[in-house]
Amino acid sequence: MIRILTLARVVWLDVLRRKDFYILLILLAILLVALLSMNVFGLGGVTAYVADIGLLLSWIFSWVLAISIGCRLLPQEESRGTIFSLLAKPVRRSELIVGKWLGAWSVVSVATAMFYVLVFGVTMLKGWTLPIGVALEAIVLHGMVIAIIIAAALMFSARLNSDAAATLTGALTATSFLLVPRIPEFVAEAGGVRGGLMLFLYNLLPHFEIFDLRMRVLHNYGTISLTTFLMITAYGLLVTAIFLALAWVAYRSKHFARGSLSGY
Amino acid sequence: MFSGMDYAIEMRSVTVRFPSRGGVVTALEGLDLTVEPGQVFGFLGPNGAGKTTAMHVLLGFIAATEGEARLFGRDVRESIARQRIGYLPEHPDTYRFLTGRELLDATAALFRLDRRTRRRRVGESIEAVGLGEAATRRIATYSRGMMQRICLAQSLINDPDLVILDEPTGGLDPIGRTDIRKIIGELRDRGKTVFFSSHELSEVELVCDTLAILARGRIVVQGSASSLVAPGERLEKVFMKVIADAEEERT
Repeated sequence: MIRILTLARVVWLDVLRRKDFYILLILLAILLVALLSMNVFGLGGVTAYVADIGLLLSWIFSWVLAISIGCRLLPQEESRGTIFSLLAKPVRRSELIVGKWLGAWSVVSVATAMFYVLVFGVTMLKGWTLPIGVALEAIVLHGMVIAIIIAAALMFSARLNSDAAATLTGALTATSFLLVPRIPEFVAEAGGVRGGLMLFLYNLLPHFEIFDLRMRVLHNYGTISLTTFLMITAYGLLVTAIFLALAWVAYRSKHFARGSLSGY
Repeated sequence: MFSGMDYAIEMRSVTVRFPSRGGVVTALEGLDLTVEPGQVFGFLGPNGAGKTTAMHVLLGFIAATEGEARLFGRDVRESIARQRIGYLPEHPDTYRFLTGRELLDATAALFRLDRRTRRRRVGESIEAVGLGEAATRRIATYSRGMMQRICLAQSLINDPDLVILDEPTGGLDPIGRTDIRKIIGELRDRGKTVFFSSHELSEVELVCDTLAILARGRIVVQGSASSLVAPGERLEKVFMKVIADAEEERT
């Protein structure tokens, strides 16, 4: 465990000390300006609308951060040449992947929690009453989505360079978010082989929509039951574990040679 | 077939082939190599002879196509085989966003050293490579020589029984080279095994007690330095002759 925690700590120091962390500050500033500018358009009184925009931006920003950080962790070890010093230690490749995942997940989760604090803080200042219970559930389940995205990023970047991995992770997660909830409608319309294919995709791709409690928070529909919450969390852990296992399978037999990103 | 004796390094019939655009490249061919504990072993060869590939097999970066390799009797494919190993890569680089001290502490943690031992080993390693106060600065501010030193300190943090050095003096000034030579001498005095490759034959002559010369993925000569280099003769001359003979034999 100490190796995994050490690798995660190095990810934290990397993000904090390199210019990447400024991205978070810029995103926070954009979010703040966006929320405060609602008054300019005379919408300041509609606090639920402000919260809606703020939460949507929080999801988009955490998605961007998760992909940008998650996709570069493994490739940059190779491009810097630090992979040689690292793997010369008694570190298993599975530990390397889990350590990187833990570091990236924790740093993006903390950043996302900061987004939420900002959104809820601004909207509460504008007179909105925060439904604390469902808001906490929303934050935890958002953390599960981040866990899945980073695991997917590591899976793709185990064999690809960071740009290709970011493109594929972005495509996979955006498709899962935007398309998957609508697939049942398409299946009903298409039928036959096309319908079967869509149904296969529906079962294969992660279902991010079940983690999204924004509407429950905005309209104060109350907390979801503990059983449902635990089942969704278990599903998130399962999908994360599958992606991490695939990342390990791709990485465990990878050959490393100086000057070659993908080895030979 | 392994001997059963715990050599520091034991490679048996190791062949490494990898696909290339023009077909298959054989980087190592049936390499047999043993290094006994306590030896300072010079691993020589021209560019492309397979020295770095052999080291990468030993460290588990690449898998042998055929044959097996062991470190202190343990299969190199097991991560535990690297518990007693220190490694300084050619052109070393590391996490430049860390301070030297933070890097060494993190490295020590990867060896599962407890906090007290980590603190002691970090101090000793910094002293051994002469980094001093610079250890509290970010590595991004280090010169090339200081980078080499911190990476060397990193390779010594676990007090390894075997230190593998790939071109350790490459790009260093004369003072840096002298320091590396001194560190190798200290390791030998403490009974450690040092396995290193170098193009600096004059350096090799000064520190090695055993040599192997590699050409086209095969060991063509191996023996004690005194048996290979006659009194009054230079290693460079022996090296050139051995490589020329190997080329002639091949053609």
